[in-house]
Amino acid sequence: MTYQVTEENNISTVFLNGEIDMDVTDKAKDVILPLIEAGKEVHINLKDVEYMDSSGISVLIESHQKAMELGTKVTLKEISKSVLKVIMMAKLEQILNLD
Amino acid sequence: MNIKDQKEFPVDSAQLKEVRNFARGLFDQVPEFEDNKEELVLALAEAAQNIVKHAYSGQPSGDTMRVEIEYQDKVLKMELFDKGKPVIPENIKPRKLSDIKAGGLGTFFIGQIMDEVVFKTTKEDWVNHLILTKRF
Repeated sequence: MTYQVTEENNISTVFLNGEIDMDVTDKAKDVILPLIEAGKEVHINLKDVEYMDSSGISVLIESHQKAMELGTKVTLKEISKSVLKVIMMAKLEQILNLD
Repeated sequence: MNIKDQKEFPVDSAQLKEVRNFARGLFDQVPEFEDNKEELVLALAEAAQNIVKHAYSGQPSGDTMRVEIEYQDKVLKMELFDKGKPVIPENIKPRKLSDIKAGGLGTFFIGQIMDEVVFKTTKEDWVNHLILTKRF
């Protein structure tokens, strides 16, 4: 997994790339959670994520819950077809903010 | 189209990608899997992840896990063997749909994708033996 972070109008966008599994979960959390903890609105762009398993989904859930707790927001952007399939399999499409 | 292959992988989260690529290489040969190849890969990878995470508690061991994949007579059987902590099937609980948390999600995915999930305790020198089956 690789990533890139951009900032615009107090919104941080995290572009994730590649395959997200247990091996890279900590790396993904280390990128996303500090942004949320800094009170920023975070967009997670998933257009280049080819594969995501339950560990990757756990990062999305944790990010969403942390944002709710701190009064900010995480939105999933340009979700790739394969990731959307997994989100829907987990029945999380009504819970996470999808765009 | 029938396929059959097996491979051993170090029990290590860094090897999960290799497990997926092994499965993809085989599944690419089966036209019937075209629409749900990645789902099948996910089911296998979640089972492999459970070995790393639960049977070995994420700790390095030097052990390997064995993955066997067979598709014959429209039945896909994926078997995983490991020498970690014995699995107690009654203790494995998939996530409830009402839970907004990740625990048990992998097991939930496996149940959604596969038709049958069976745990056996031993085979040859292994401790745990998981059999995932899907009929086409």
